[in-house]
Amino acid sequence: MPDKRILEMKGIEIQFPGVKALDKVDFDLIAGEVHALLGENGAGKSTLIKCLTGVHHMDAGKIIYDGKEITPTSPQAAINMGISTVFQEINLCQNLTVAENIFVGRLPMKRRHRIDWKGINNRASELLKRFNIHIDVTRPLDYFSTGIQQMVSIARAVDIKAKILILDEPTSSLDENEVERLFDVVRELKKSGMGIIFITHFLDQAFVISDRLTVLRNGRLVGDFYARNISKIELVRQMIGKDMEQIFALKRPTVAADATNMLDVESLGIASKVADVSFTLKTGELIGFAGLLGSGRTETAEMIFGVTRAEHGTIKIHDREVRIHSPLDAINQQMAFCPEDRKRDGIIGDLSVRENISLVVQSRRGIFNPMSIKEQAELADQYIQLLGIATPDAEKKVGELSGGNQQKVILARWMATQPDLLILDEPTRGIDVGAKAEIQRLMLKMCAEGVSVIFISSELDEILRCANRVIVMRDRCKAGELPGESSRQEDILHVIAEGTATGEEA
Amino acid sequence: MKWKFDSQHILKSKITWAVVAELLILLVCLIIRPEFFEISYQESTGMLYGSIIDILNRSSEITIIALGMTLVIALAGTDLSVGAVVALSGAIGLKLMRWDMSEYPTAGNYSVTPLIWVFLVALGICFLFGCFNGLMVSRFGLQPIIATLVLMVAGRGVAQIITNGRQMTTNFAPFKFISQGSVLFLPMPIIITAVIFILMVLLTRKTSFGMFVEAVGINPRASRVSGLRSSLIIFSAYAITGLLAGISGLIYASRIGQNDSNNAGINYEMDAILAVVIGGTSMSGGKFSLAGTVMGSIIIRTIITFVYYFGVAAEAIMAFKALIVLVVIVLQAEPVREFISKRRKARKTAIRGELHG
Repeated sequence: MPDKRILEMKGIEIQFPGVKALDKVDFDLIAGEVHALLGENGAGKSTLIKCLTGVHHMDAGKIIYDGKEITPTSPQAAINMGISTVFQEINLCQNLTVAENIFVGRLPMKRRHRIDWKGINNRASELLKRFNIHIDVTRPLDYFSTGIQQMVSIARAVDIKAKILILDEPTSSLDENEVERLFDVVRELKKSGMGIIFITHFLDQAFVISDRLTVLRNGRLVGDFYARNISKIELVRQMIGKDMEQIFALKRPTVAADATNMLDVESLGIASKVADVSFTLKTGELIGFAGLLGSGRTETAEMIFGVTRAEHGTIKIHDREVRIHSPLDAINQQMAFCPEDRKRDGIIGDLSVRENISLVVQSRRGIFNPMSIKEQAELADQYIQLLGIATPDAEKKVGELSGGNQQKVILARWMATQPDLLILDEPTRGIDVGAKAEIQRLMLKMCAEGVSVIFISSELDEILRCANRVIVMRDRCKAGELPGESSRQEDILHVIAEGTATGEEA
Repeated sequence: MKWKFDSQHILKSKITWAVVAELLILLVCLIIRPEFFEISYQESTGMLYGSIIDILNRSSEITIIALGMTLVIALAGTDLSVGAVVALSGAIGLKLMRWDMSEYPTAGNYSVTPLIWVFLVALGICFLFGCFNGLMVSRFGLQPIIATLVLMVAGRGVAQIITNGRQMTTNFAPFKFISQGSVLFLPMPIIITAVIFILMVLLTRKTSFGMFVEAVGINPRASRVSGLRSSLIIFSAYAITGLLAGISGLIYASRIGQNDSNNAGINYEMDAILAVVIGGTSMSGGKFSLAGTVMGSIIIRTIITFVYYFGVAAEAIMAFKALIVLVVIVLQAEPVREFISKRRKARKTAIRGELHG
């Protein structure tokens, strides 16, 4: 039965507090196809999947599955209907055997109360043989590599008589060979008529395996495309889009002709994370880091700031080599770092705005040289005013502010240390347009005052508007460096998609 | 900081409920037997007597430990070894005071080692035990329960080895003074506890240590990115707790006039944790309140005193204590507090509505 639609999602809407996570999104899946779901973080991919698997409940729209309208109420209900999901993190028990993992929760019984171990082991190894995996299924799962583990979780998902298989970033922890093996399995399943939804950040992989690609952006459907009809560049453009709703009169920083080197990074890297990155940054210069998620942008920033320790390479500040083994070292070198994951690495939710803003200044002063509460309050009030942080007063818990204001508090925390180098990792993600513009304005203002800035962002127009130079990261290494003023989005997209730059030094 | 009178805020605060619970228990005492509150002055000892004084006095050992435990719990940890350290501290103290048993076979008013050394050595070793815990948790990343379980078990063993498994008694007056003596009409343990409480408040609120502890307890990753030396902070909290458990152990040994490796400090870790939790510090770490902890410890002691004073049957004591603790803790649970403050709010708006309507 060619072109048999097994799944249709129509006009799906989901409202989260303060933000529309999905806005009239349509999606459909044909039996025997691999359909990739693409989009940057926060685009709504996971939300859509969670809606299908009953984790979130939609506010509007309908789901037609196998010809009937359904409303999944829980992941278990979805599984029972034949919608199986394999998540990015392996959701299995490391200490159980492979066979136990595949059958846990539905162990076949021999007579009434005895588990049929032999049957389990036989069926498990047969199931895996279908995937061309020949392993001893009686060994505990953690004996095997991540790739095999991933395969086991797929085997488990498939054995539950699934009609739809959802793979949520299944390849992010796999190496190339393992990815190839996974794809063989996927092709096998496809042949058997299963519909497969494939979520990934790796465009190359999406192109290799998918028949169709659906792109989401900011909770809206951008479109669905046949993989054979669209180029990578066009796809990246669709994913990133253009936030042209508001154009701000922002002026790129001007770097003085005699500006000295503020930061000099030479072949910095960690074997498994980032290959040798080298670049220089002048005083008062703003350098943009572009690239897709997972391309090594954040990892580079974290190495420079000592969050993770680089395995090799050198960092020079004002032409003097420095050792940075912890964030404290970096802070003592007048560096500042607004991390990408605000909740996890940034805010201390239960502490007040005042305490959050004074935290780094205080940590540099040390335990026995405390700021009085009055000093803290003055500092906090100063930045609340300067950055226009919307809070009733400085004693409000940071966790209770909106995302944009939390971000401003973190920015304030670092501005209060009067840094020479400011690293901003996705400072404008997930915050509204007004706050976005303000953060960009502040960033440029600091540059004008002689601060050097490293600005990491997924939004290319944002980078092109502000940066003196753009470093493009791709597949965990530096793929190119472009001048900020004369480059167009196409140039960056080209480097992201193809790994080579047109018309610049290699 | 501006202090505003905000009934919602006060209703939601945990320490409020600790105080309310204590007052309720005392109210029951007052109704049943008003003489519970009598305080008398004895000229011979120069000290005040009465159930209330007794509660404060006898709660000292737990309060002192719980003050350290507050920091540990605020860092999302826990220290199970404090009870064992109490036993160890007493064992070291008595061993030093009665170094050569054959020469001084009877317990008397003497000490072989100068008392200052008794204190320094006993507390020094307890401090080192605390450092060991701190090292295990902060450097080796062991889970606090497991890391401190080691010394919980080993501490009493070491105490047994030091004393050859013997109980030694002492009547050395200067040593007895730390539990029996008095200053300003109050028993010494109350004075010592008050001094430690003040020192701890100064340490946590007059330096930035308290803020750092809370930051690391709430979000260790973000704290590290902000340049906090979280492992040093965690280490210090355990080291301080070890030292405080040592002090507590010496007070206890002085009180009973002997070392008792098997029974000294039994269940102290549980009472200390309970005191901290009743005092409003969450086991998951974060904001802490030293005053709350003191209140928690006093509540626990009040319950015990109440039980003895009113002659609750011996076999029912534990169950009775558990029952009251349960009530206190449930009163403090988030949903219950939310419920109460919401109902209050609703009633207020309802009244306002009537007025306007």
